[in-house]
Amino acid sequence: MSGLGTNTAGKEMVNLQVVENICEPKDERLERILREHIDKHRRKAALADRAFTAATWSIAAVGLGILGFVIAAIFVRGLGTALDPGFLFGKPQAIKEGGGIGPMVASSFYLALLTVALVVPVGVGAAVYMSEFARESRAARLVRFGADSLSAVPSVVFGIFGMVLFVVYFGLGYSLLAGALTLTLLNLPTVMRTSEEALKAVPASYREASLALGATRWETVKKVVLPSAVPGITTGAVLAMGRIVGESAAVIYTVGIFVRKIPVSPLKPAAPMAAHIWHTYTEGALVSDWMRIANGEAAFLLLLVLALNLAARLAARLLAKKTGTVKESG
Amino acid sequence: MKRQGGSALEGIDREWIVKKTMLVMAMMTVLGILLIIFFVAKESMPAFTKAGPANLFSSTWDPKSGRYGMLIFFTGTITTTVGGLLLGTPLAIGSALFLTQMAPRRVRSFFARGVELLAGVPSIVLGWLGFTVMVPWLRSATNSQGTGVLAASIILAIMVLPTITAISKDALEAVPRTYIDASLAMGATRWQTVRKVLIPAAKPGLLVAVILGMGRAIGETMAVALVIGPATAYPTSLTSPTHTLTTKILMEMGESTGVQRSALFAMGLVLLLLSMAMIMLVRMVTRQRKEAA
Repeated sequence: MSGLGTNTAGKEMVNLQVVENICEPKDERLERILREHIDKHRRKAALADRAFTAATWSIAAVGLGILGFVIAAIFVRGLGTALDPGFLFGKPQAIKEGGGIGPMVASSFYLALLTVALVVPVGVGAAVYMSEFARESRAARLVRFGADSLSAVPSVVFGIFGMVLFVVYFGLGYSLLAGALTLTLLNLPTVMRTSEEALKAVPASYREASLALGATRWETVKKVVLPSAVPGITTGAVLAMGRIVGESAAVIYTVGIFVRKIPVSPLKPAAPMAAHIWHTYTEGALVSDWMRIANGEAAFLLLLVLALNLAARLAARLLAKKTGTVKESG
Repeated sequence: MKRQGGSALEGIDREWIVKKTMLVMAMMTVLGILLIIFFVAKESMPAFTKAGPANLFSSTWDPKSGRYGMLIFFTGTITTTVGGLLLGTPLAIGSALFLTQMAPRRVRSFFARGVELLAGVPSIVLGWLGFTVMVPWLRSATNSQGTGVLAASIILAIMVLPTITAISKDALEAVPRTYIDASLAMGATRWQTVRKVLIPAAKPGLLVAVILGMGRAIGETMAVALVIGPATAYPTSLTSPTHTLTTKILMEMGESTGVQRSALFAMGLVLLLLSMAMIMLVRMVTRQRKEAA
């Protein structure tokens, strides 16, 4: 939609023509007054247009400036710490200085993988139902409403809900599993939507060809539609990982905020980085280098999220090339 | 034994089973939202029965003397949300106009990618940046402690920016190209076209964008928690610290029991109702648009 012409003259020219036709015989004075009037209008319109152009470009510059500033400020403050292996893999200290965040990094990855393992099958299943089986049924409308509502729930509400249902009622305690179940619900609408988009991008002719050969609907989905949608689904899954490692409000009361050792069992408490930054902030005074720790952790977290964003894009492109199937747009 | 069944019948059965399995997975969304409403409502019941609605919707929060009023936090949520939207919306809609009307092709994809990246920045990271960089600035610039409504509004503006930009962009792109061409052919300038044709035509979509941005701002927790103060008091100025519903829940859920804990769940219920109201609003606006078309 770019490249609208900057046509400032045409409209008034038409008006002038009309005026000239009406005012016969020609009155030189009237014509001059009209011309001046119209010129003034034209100049004003051109000025407003130029102001609009300047405004949108500067707004865009401010927007990119904010992004650049956020990334630069976080990296300047913490990347030095974050890329030190002693910090990244080191043991945390509760009182002494010089602690690392090894268990927190492990917790974040563990939680992300566990959640993705739960949410992707369900999300893809739901998407298959919506795009291949349901069409515009009443059930589909209900599911759409459920997904919309779920995606509007604030993450802290997911947190206290997960605490009641998974931590207390199911007796899982503060644990990776309780957090993963909570985050599964939190990410279900988005994973479902990205998968649905991937499925919808598969041309109808693929399905028709398969059905015409005598395949059933499920065989068509399994052998034709799903394989073609793999790049799009993968992108959605990697983007979900980015959201999971960045999530804190839903994690603090379901997984935990501080651990000393790398959690092995999914039934053990853990401390994903995002939640641990909050812990470091609230319990800051306990270690004197808490600022260094949180700076480093924030920088590594941001680096990880940016890397996952890039990876999602790259994965889509590579897989699309490899399978020679539908490209993920955008 | 089962193997002996006719293969055609078996095929149909499998189709049926698969379809129902997929349906169950899809229904997880409905089940999820129902479970959330049920459990949050259930946990907030004691607050309604033991403290009573009059107590809950009052201005005094003092659990030691049995006062569980949430109005301060509700006000904090509304104030910071409005502040964030006032700062963020012009920026976001301007960005969407830039993306759809102004940007040369190459700049456009670069800018769109930037907006996506901003959406991906974790809220705790943004909050940490606000706490370590922005709050000290505001402290010296406004001669106050730096935390509070203004700080929270700025952070929220950054958080809603990508949401509103993305949805506004879709709304602007949905306006038929012929409308714009017609306006230009009449001799209107680009700005006249945007103001008189494009924005009126895209209005419902832009409204949806702002409503969804509002929902995001109301529910935002971590980024606000690090810059809001906090203080259990009504905000009296832009720089006065306060609390929002989300930050109060976050900071007190860990160490509260009994009615106090239940009152925090009641705040969660209010948040749930607010987010549901947003969804209803969006549905109303989009339905109107469909009927108008």
